[in-house]
Amino acid sequence: MLEAMIELARGPLLRLSLLVMLAGLLRAFALQAWEIGWAWRRAGDHFVPWKLVIARNLSWLLPWRYLKSEERFVYNFVSFLFHVAIVLVPLFLAGHVAIWEKELGIGWWTLPPLLADALTVTGILALVGLLAGRYANGGSRRMSRAGDWLLPVLCLLPFVTGFMTSHPAWSPWNARVSYLLHLLTAELLLVVVPFSKLVHVVLFWSSQVSSELGWRFPPGFGHRVRQTLGKEGQGV
Amino acid sequence: MAEAAHRPCRGTFTVDEIQERLSYIIEKDRVDPHDLAGQFLEAFAAILKHSNYRQVIDNYARITARCMNCACACQIYKHTRAPEDIPCFRSNLLLEVYRRHFMLRGIVETRILGMHFLTDEKVVEMAETFWHCTACRRCTLECPLGIDHGLVTHLARYILSEIGLAPRALVISVREQLEGKTRNTSAIPFPAIRDSIEFLVEEIRDDKGIEVAFPIDQEDRDYIFFPAVSDYLMEAETLMGIATVFHVCGDGDRWTIGTNYFDGINYGLFYNDWILERCLLEEMKEARRLRAKNVLIGECGHASRSAKVFMPTFGGAEAPPVVHILEYTYRRWKEGRFRLRDDVVTEKVTYHDPCNIGRTGWIVNEPREILRSFCPNYVEMQPHGPHNLCCGGGGGTVSIDEIRPYRTGVTGTKKAEQLAATGAKYVVAPCANCKKQLREVIEDHGLEMEVVGLHDLVYRAIVIE
Repeated sequence: MLEAMIELARGPLLRLSLLVMLAGLLRAFALQAWEIGWAWRRAGDHFVPWKLVIARNLSWLLPWRYLKSEERFVYNFVSFLFHVAIVLVPLFLAGHVAIWEKELGIGWWTLPPLLADALTVTGILALVGLLAGRYANGGSRRMSRAGDWLLPVLCLLPFVTGFMTSHPAWSPWNARVSYLLHLLTAELLLVVVPFSKLVHVVLFWSSQVSSELGWRFPPGFGHRVRQTLGKEGQGV
Repeated sequence: MAEAAHRPCRGTFTVDEIQERLSYIIEKDRVDPHDLAGQFLEAFAAILKHSNYRQVIDNYARITARCMNCACACQIYKHTRAPEDIPCFRSNLLLEVYRRHFMLRGIVETRILGMHFLTDEKVVEMAETFWHCTACRRCTLECPLGIDHGLVTHLARYILSEIGLAPRALVISVREQLEGKTRNTSAIPFPAIRDSIEFLVEEIRDDKGIEVAFPIDQEDRDYIFFPAVSDYLMEAETLMGIATVFHVCGDGDRWTIGTNYFDGINYGLFYNDWILERCLLEEMKEARRLRAKNVLIGECGHASRSAKVFMPTFGGAEAPPVVHILEYTYRRWKEGRFRLRDDVVTEKVTYHDPCNIGRTGWIVNEPREILRSFCPNYVEMQPHGPHNLCCGGGGGTVSIDEIRPYRTGVTGTKKAEQLAATGAKYVVAPCANCKKQLREVIEDHGLEMEVVGLHDLVYRAIVIE
């Protein structure tokens, strides 16, 4: 029974969840790219300060930018560590790459086991830290919605179950159970990505351009807004 | 994407009740209290349809993380520590309206579950809170996801203004500027401006012994000059400095002031894009009438950002180049066209970066280079440059006299602390709004400082050969 479930989770469910994630992300990115292109065509000056946009995007990928931030540098640096872990571990863990080799026949560089363990533990600690940071800060706590609490937990589960799978001694149950839980929680996370704020994996890249284009107005649009609202001819 | 999900609704408030809540944000006869929420959604939908806002609001609505980075950059939140002053919290008021009424998910929720999200109460709440922000955009520097809360504030105010909820002080000024007889926000008739100019010319003659011209309605000049019109009454020394620099550099016959339209102020930047465009088109029309090659903006932050950034987008290929007076003066100073004595302004001097010219790094080093060259006691305030604190009167709030206690006691408190820490005698602030606000901050906090423009000090130290 357990093995049958693992087979299901490792085969069809994994493919389905990857498909949902990729299709969802592709849709989000394509829609945004289309909207950006449309905005660029409508803007009177067709101008985007690319250097500024690229510099800002890149600056937020660098760890020292987070250390420079006011007051929140601990939270931000922990967030940076979490991002490193959640990008590297799923893509470069030897066990994960083996799946690609089996399914698609292509493999790539893998993390040395010790580093993989270190990154996994970093990811777990960082997520706990992020949750604690969100809770400890009154403003952040008051502002947070259900998703802001659930998503870190959702990210935490595959890390924890993955660690238990590769270190059965740390697990309260059978390693195969851990493996099944790892597969299921990871698949749940994959499916959620395009429909939650995690969609920023693709939209992060465009938000700076979007911001700039938001300020680039189509000539005469204010007048057309007035027309649509039936206020044409009315004064200030 | 789907259109807004509307709901039939009765009015929740009477006009008097709205006025009680939003005393300075309403003109009584311009507001229809019936179904504010429906009106808001209608205006929001129309703006999304015709503008470039949808792509950016859609992006923000999907990715906001509520991480508090913006709050740490906000001088208002740092003073009040109230959640409603967190930039992301404020932006989410509007983003939530977008999510629940314009995104597929929200529409399903609204239509199937019948959960009508936006209420008249929420509209009034937005009208209150979006005018608590000074739109300084300091928070945008700290958002890892690139969210420009200044843009969200700008859009929210635009939507609100289309349903009649905009500060009375701004609306009345704009009405006079665009549709009144005097064609300027301070309602100064041009003859009075002419008198003021004659007075300035006499003053310069007495002070410096030179005959400086303020050319009026001259054609084919390099620059047509648009200062904040209030400068003619309140910032005499700034204007005298500018005219003297032109004169000393041999450019006295290369600039002009137009009589049809001469006010650089553009309150559209603060609350309405239709107004923003109309003011810029007026500037372009006047430049075209006098066949001026460049639009030259005086010491005014929002006027220069409006013209610099938005004239090209509204005017397209016909938009003339826009030059800020600091850029002009810096260029001439670098060329060695005028010299400044370094024994005139010996007191401690500091420089305040106006948000609209400093935040993006547009004009940051130029004024500093000039000041350092002739003010031996120049000190920086901390932080400065793109990270400088707002004067506390940004986003048009400085023009609303009713909220002075809020401006100096809440938004201006961190600024007062920052100013006091410099120990400077002079605060140089090349922006009409910042000057007014900083003077009030200094007065209300009992500081011993004086606010001046860059050209005020240049005027004192310029060498007349």
